[in-house]
Amino acid sequence: MKKLLIIDDAAFMRLAIRNMLLNYEIEISGEAADGAIGVEMYKQLRPDVVTMDITMPKMSGLEALKAIKAFDPQAKVIMVSAMGQERIVKEAIISGAKTFIVKPFKEEHLYQTICKVLGI
Amino acid sequence: MADSVEQDTSDQIEDTQKGKFLTFCMGNEFYGIEIKYVTEIIGFQPITEIPEMPEYIKGIINLRGKIIPVMDVRLRFRKPFREYNDRTCIVVIDISEVAVGLIVDSISEVITIPDEEIVAPPSMTKEGNRYIKGIGKVGSDVKLLLDSDKLLNETDLESLSDL
Amino acid sequence: MTLSQKGVNELSNPYVNEPMLDLYIFESMQLLEQMELLILSNEKSSSYASEAINEIFRIMHTIKGSSAMMLYNNISTLAHSLEDLFFVLREDEPRNVDYSELSDLVLEGLDFIKVEIHKIRNGDEADGDATGLIESLRVFHATIKGSDFKVEDQNLADGAVSHENRTPEKQQYYISKVRTETTSLRNTFQATLRFEQDCGGMENIRAIVVLNDLADLMEDYYHLPEDLENEDSARIISEQGFTLFLKTDRSLEEIHKVLIETIYLKDLQLTNVENSELFNDLHQEREILLEDSSVKLPAFSSRDQVPNNYEEKEFHSGANQPSIISVSVAKLDQLMDLVGEMVIAEAMVTQNPDLKGLELNNFEKAARQLRKITSELQDTVMSVRMVPLTGTFQKMNRTLRDMCKKLNKEVQLQLIGQETEVDKNIIEHISDPLMHLIRNSIDHGIEMPSEREIKGKSRLGTITLEAKNAGGDVLIIISDDGEGFNKDRILAKAREKGLIQGSEEEITDKEIYNLVFLPGFSTNEKVTEFSGRGVGMDVVVKNIEAVGGGLAADSVPGKGTTITLKIPLTLAIIDGMNIKVGDSRYTIPTTAIKESFRPKITEVIVDPDNNEMMMVRGQCFPILRLHDIYHVKTDVTHFTEGIIIMVEQDNKTLCLFADELIGQQQVVVKALPEYIQNMKKVRGLAGCTLLGDGSISLILDVGGLIGYRQATKV
Repeated sequence: MKKLLIIDDAAFMRLAIRNMLLNYEIEISGEAADGAIGVEMYKQLRPDVVTMDITMPKMSGLEALKAIKAFDPQAKVIMVSAMGQERIVKEAIISGAKTFIVKPFKEEHLYQTICKVLGI
Repeated sequence: MADSVEQDTSDQIEDTQKGKFLTFCMGNEFYGIEIKYVTEIIGFQPITEIPEMPEYIKGIINLRGKIIPVMDVRLRFRKPFREYNDRTCIVVIDISEVAVGLIVDSISEVITIPDEEIVAPPSMTKEGNRYIKGIGKVGSDVKLLLDSDKLLNETDLESLSDL
Repeated sequence: MTLSQKGVNELSNPYVNEPMLDLYIFESMQLLEQMELLILSNEKSSSYASEAINEIFRIMHTIKGSSAMMLYNNISTLAHSLEDLFFVLREDEPRNVDYSELSDLVLEGLDFIKVEIHKIRNGDEADGDATGLIESLRVFHATIKGSDFKVEDQNLADGAVSHENRTPEKQQYYISKVRTETTSLRNTFQATLRFEQDCGGMENIRAIVVLNDLADLMEDYYHLPEDLENEDSARIISEQGFTLFLKTDRSLEEIHKVLIETIYLKDLQLTNVENSELFNDLHQEREILLEDSSVKLPAFSSRDQVPNNYEEKEFHSGANQPSIISVSVAKLDQLMDLVGEMVIAEAMVTQNPDLKGLELNNFEKAARQLRKITSELQDTVMSVRMVPLTGTFQKMNRTLRDMCKKLNKEVQLQLIGQETEVDKNIIEHISDPLMHLIRNSIDHGIEMPSEREIKGKSRLGTITLEAKNAGGDVLIIISDDGEGFNKDRILAKAREKGLIQGSEEEITDKEIYNLVFLPGFSTNEKVTEFSGRGVGMDVVVKNIEAVGGGLAADSVPGKGTTITLKIPLTLAIIDGMNIKVGDSRYTIPTTAIKESFRPKITEVIVDPDNNEMMMVRGQCFPILRLHDIYHVKTDVTHFTEGIIIMVEQDNKTLCLFADELIGQQQVVVKALPEYIQNMKKVRGLAGCTLLGDGSISLILDVGGLIGYRQATKV
């Protein structure tokens, strides 16, 4: 089963993503509430894919993305964005995020996005 | 979508309970209470008295860890007190999340009384009548249908001022 | 928290379930409270601190996202407006901001969201309309946006998100390799992609992702719209699609396979363009473009490109981070009940009468161990339920702000000891009373600034809210430096309402001040918007008494008023002494018991009014016969046959007369059913508890009983 790490400061969003993936063959191997913790968890857990919130306190999603990519250039990171974040999403894509998804999103789109990124 | 489905099922439950009454007897009369309010019927059990309550509030009982008040319907109707025996039952009703046990002489049966067989109570002054919201006809019998809400919530001014 | 099934089902999202809704409510409310504090603390200075702006921006962003996921569009839209506003504040640092107006607007927005979330919590529809407010925010937004703002680019060094990068330099995002050797490009394709409407916008970036996906397969490419940086490009792609011309040595199938997996793809047209003239034309243009902008390679892989501050930052690894979960209070209550039952069961086993007279060393050892664990378990569960008063205290800042603004008074709030912990259930009961008392203080206590100056006080009034532990209780003291209670007015009012018994000469000042707590008393001659709203003083008293607490007032004319709330640390479990009167069982909190003894008839004194009293070591104490006051039938009516329990509270002592003591144990306090409470508040009853045999014992409230005795004395 493929492993997913959720990095999001909002517990609600973490639960939302977890719930959306309940019926799929995706294992949530970890949840991090901040970019910095997320990076550390990535190093420890080595998940197959990461969903990364952009707006977080302490370390932002973009910084965390860069840190993860620095550690593992092959890291597959999906940015979780919202309207009004065009530029930052762009920067994230340049910085190596595989793709992005815009809140609010639906279950099937999240799953498709993950599958796509994982190549399944 | 989901909403309307949910609505349907709750309508169905409502439907199956509609017009159904649990009847019990007190003295020579039969009373009915809408089944949808009834959560369970238990045998008589020891009651812990609460001081300074109106006479018809007999006290509280322990219903599997939940403490609920019990009311003697006889006394509520200002009928003479009758010793409790092995036919005495406590009907637990739940009206807008307030659970109360009603002590009745004995339980009779569950019957269906269609709306058209229910008439408004005559405006007599007889005590207890004010807790009756209708009279149901079942064959030649008559069942007095209780207004559970009034039974619980209407302050019996006289009994409070007794204190 | 019960959520109506309907509220949940209204959402068409199948993944939304109750815990999610709970979490949405919980987290949003927490964020809103955090935000309220930020606003209140920043409002005092003439501008907002940049961290606060950042934080509020982030909070609104989170709430916008969660609300959109939950389909609460009114909340989401409003949060979006606020987010935009704080974005401008952060990025442009406008100078002409009316921060007072800003605070008002933001607080209004905050209140709106709170109200909506309350509706959601109650299972109602979140149907509030925020259009008016959004319009006000838009106007405000336009005002500050129109002002001069810093043109220079602000690099946010504090690690905050650079939401929108204002760097004028054109960024290069082409991932395509600029290959040195030109292989034979067999195929030229034209692909047109359309995205679904609900992809959430940012189609231009989706197009960039497509380019990324194809990066390794394309030798060369060109696309329309040309400029994916442009804001407009998203709209153009949304309307007309994204068209890509590419040269590749891969087959049509291979390219199709990649493109068809594009997320949110609605429609794909892929054709082989034999004539590559068009491409060549376009291609040339692009080469020119490439020449004058340096190709910025994406910061993909090398470690050097890690931002410098990354290494310096302190990291908490996932394992070291205290992980926190939120648990519903109902579950904690349940756990508490169970622990309580276990404490009783433990007592029933280890003190089982069947064991009497048996020498059971091993059993005793095991029993001791069990008792130890049970008591630790109980302590732990208790500690879980304890929460600091911080949140409740800080909520008062908002009350203070609104009141001061309305009444044109200047008051500061001083908070002391807000870290003091109290049982969660109690906290819920004291928030409203505190708010009312603070309102009272501002409304009736603190004078107008000008008046204060005349009196030689500082214009700024002070209200101090202090919490501290005192034995098994917590004291919360609300004091103000206002004009103090008007003794004569209180006395006159009390006389008018018939609240004074006995002669007035005997009444001490303190007793006069405490008349205000009596039911039916209200000094509010003028019902103002605030103090007149909702609850009166007697409701405050009711609330506090409901949790087994009490109030006392003291006042110095011209100097101020102090109101002290005494509330128990916890309601859940107490050490109790069970006693028997007739068939009834009562439980007295052990902390209130001084001693118990079988009296000798010579110690009992009866005064001419037939009041019975007990002589103990030369002191005289009133006796209260429990069977008498509660009309319980018992054979034990002679003092010599029963037992006297001396209880004490607030330095007042009373002798209770009961049939016999049953034994001491810890009991779980349960409230009397609401139905009973609504019927009448029975004097001297604090609640009830279940005994080991399943029977119910009534818990006595010693303070109430002392009051009972006094009331009957008069």
